[in-house]
Parts: sequence; C-alpha cells; structure tokens
Amino acid sequence: MSGPEENVEPAQLAPAAKAELDRAFEDFYRAHLRDVYSYAYYRVGNHHDAEDLTEQAFLQAYRHFDRARRESDGRPLRPWLIRIAHNLASNYYRDRSRRPQTPLDSADPIATRHDTEDLVAGREELRQVMANLEALSDDRREALIMRFALGMDNREIARALGRSDGATKVLIHRAIKQLQEEMEGAGDDG
Amino acid sequence: MAEQGESTWDVEALLGDVLRPIEPPERLSGRIEGTFTALSAAAATELSDWAEELSDSEMRALRDPRNWVRPVVAVGVGGVATGALVLFELRRRGRSEANGLKGIAQGVRERTPF
Repeated sequence: MSGPEENVEPAQLAPAAKAELDRAFEDFYRAHLRDVYSYAYYRVGNHHDAEDLTEQAFLQAYRHFDRARRESDGRPLRPWLIRIAHNLASNYYRDRSRRPQTPLDSADPIATRHDTEDLVAGREELRQVMANLEALSDDRREALIMRFALGMDNREIARALGRSDGATKVLIHRAIKQLQEEMEGAGDDG
Repeated sequence: MAEQGESTWDVEALLGDVLRPIEPPERLSGRIEGTFTALSAAAATELSDWAEELSDSEMRALRDPRNWVRPVVAVGVGGVATGALVLFELRRRGRSEANGLKGIAQGVRERTPF
C-alpha cells in the first residue's frame, strides 16, 4: 500500500479502488463545481477562461485526489481544491501578462433583488466596492473572494492560501478595513 | 471591529452583494464530464490495443499485478498528454479581454447608465 507521501495516478489503482475513487471524486466534483467556477470567474473576469480554469483545476484534482484524501485526515478538501485553482489562475496571469487588455463579457453580478430606485442607488455603491476591490493587494482580494463568493471560513481560507489561521484573520480584517476607509474617503470626496 | 460599526457603509453586506457565487453554465458540466469520459475511454482503448498484441503467455503474465506497470505508464502518459492539450488550448486562445475584477468592474461600468 502506498504511503501518504506517494501519489498514485488513478489509472494505477486496482479496478475496485479506482471505481471507488471515481465515485468519490464525482461527488466531490458536484459539490464544488460552483465554488471553483466562482473563484475562477472572479480571478480571471470572463466566462470562457473561467471555464477553462475550472476544467483544468478538476483534472489536476483528479490526478492527486487519492493522495489528498489520504493526507487530509478527514478534513474538508475544498481548500486544497481552491489552492489548485489559485495556482492555475496565477499561471494564467503570468501567461497573459504581456497581452493587451480590453473589455470583457459582462457578468452583471448585481442584476437582481432590488426595486428600481434601490437598484440605481445600490449600483453606485456596488460599483464603488468593485473598484476598491480592484485596488486591494492580490492576497487581500483573494481572501475576500474566498470569504464572500465561496463562503469559506478563516480556517479554510488559511489552508487555501497556505497561511496560519491568525495571519488569515488579520489579512481579512485589514482588507475589510481598507475597503471601509476607501469607501469613507470616496464618500467625503463626493 | 468598532470602527466598522461606526461607518456609514456596511462593507461586508456590500461585499456579499458584489461577490455572489456564480452558477457555472450548464455546458461546463457537460464539457468536464465529457473530458473525464474521454480520458476513461482513452485509457480503456490503450489497454485493449495493447492486449491484442499479446501471446497467451503474455496474457497470463498480464494477470499478475507485478506486470501492470506498462499499461499504467501508457495511460498515465495519455492522461498527461490530454491535460497538456487542454492547457495548450487554454493558452492558445488569444482573447484580448481584461482580467479579474478589473474586467468585471469594467463590464459593470459599461452597463451602468451613469
């Protein structure tokens, strides 16, 4: 039997073990497809590349799923999966860093739930938040994406980012505080 | 976080509105499941083609788990190649679109009439 440090490709497993692995991975995939897609979308900003990144993340996850389960000690695997997506997104940015940037497809994440007046008033606030999110450092922005878009708690975010729980708590606190100050500043200016 | 309580803005509520989970398009599920199905089929075909070339003694040897390295390596290589193709396709696409939240914000700006 392989040790916890050894990765065994799914195709290397005995048929029964592979069938069990495939079933478990299918459940895992269905449970977290939206998480990975949401994360990918907020990282890359368009649906086409978010789909590519999501598919690539699950392909990588599948190859290492057996080992990840063995090493997880029963802990949730979502942070591990999001870390894969995080690394792929970083590669994506490296790959595209020299390319020109122009407008993309509109996600319109703020399209529902308001009546007309609130919608107009709310859009300005939301647009401002979105603009201020852009200005955050990468780690602060990513932590907020994990917290709000994926609903991850501090411990999960810490594992996904490879930080301590305490450092993650401070990171999120500072990110929110920075946004708060930016919003206050913008309000004073207006 | 007293300073946040005194603020005009409920930033956490606003973040909850801005960063809502995004439902993946239905085509994505079909695409990913299709990829996994294709990988399984490719692995099975690889094994089948290889098995047809074997003599009886080789077939008997095949049943010994100690001799499973060759097909496994073939399937592994196939899997890596498929992954590389997907990655190549991802990189090949030269869409000139803005990245991340910057792009989303730009999209929102373009659709907002003020």
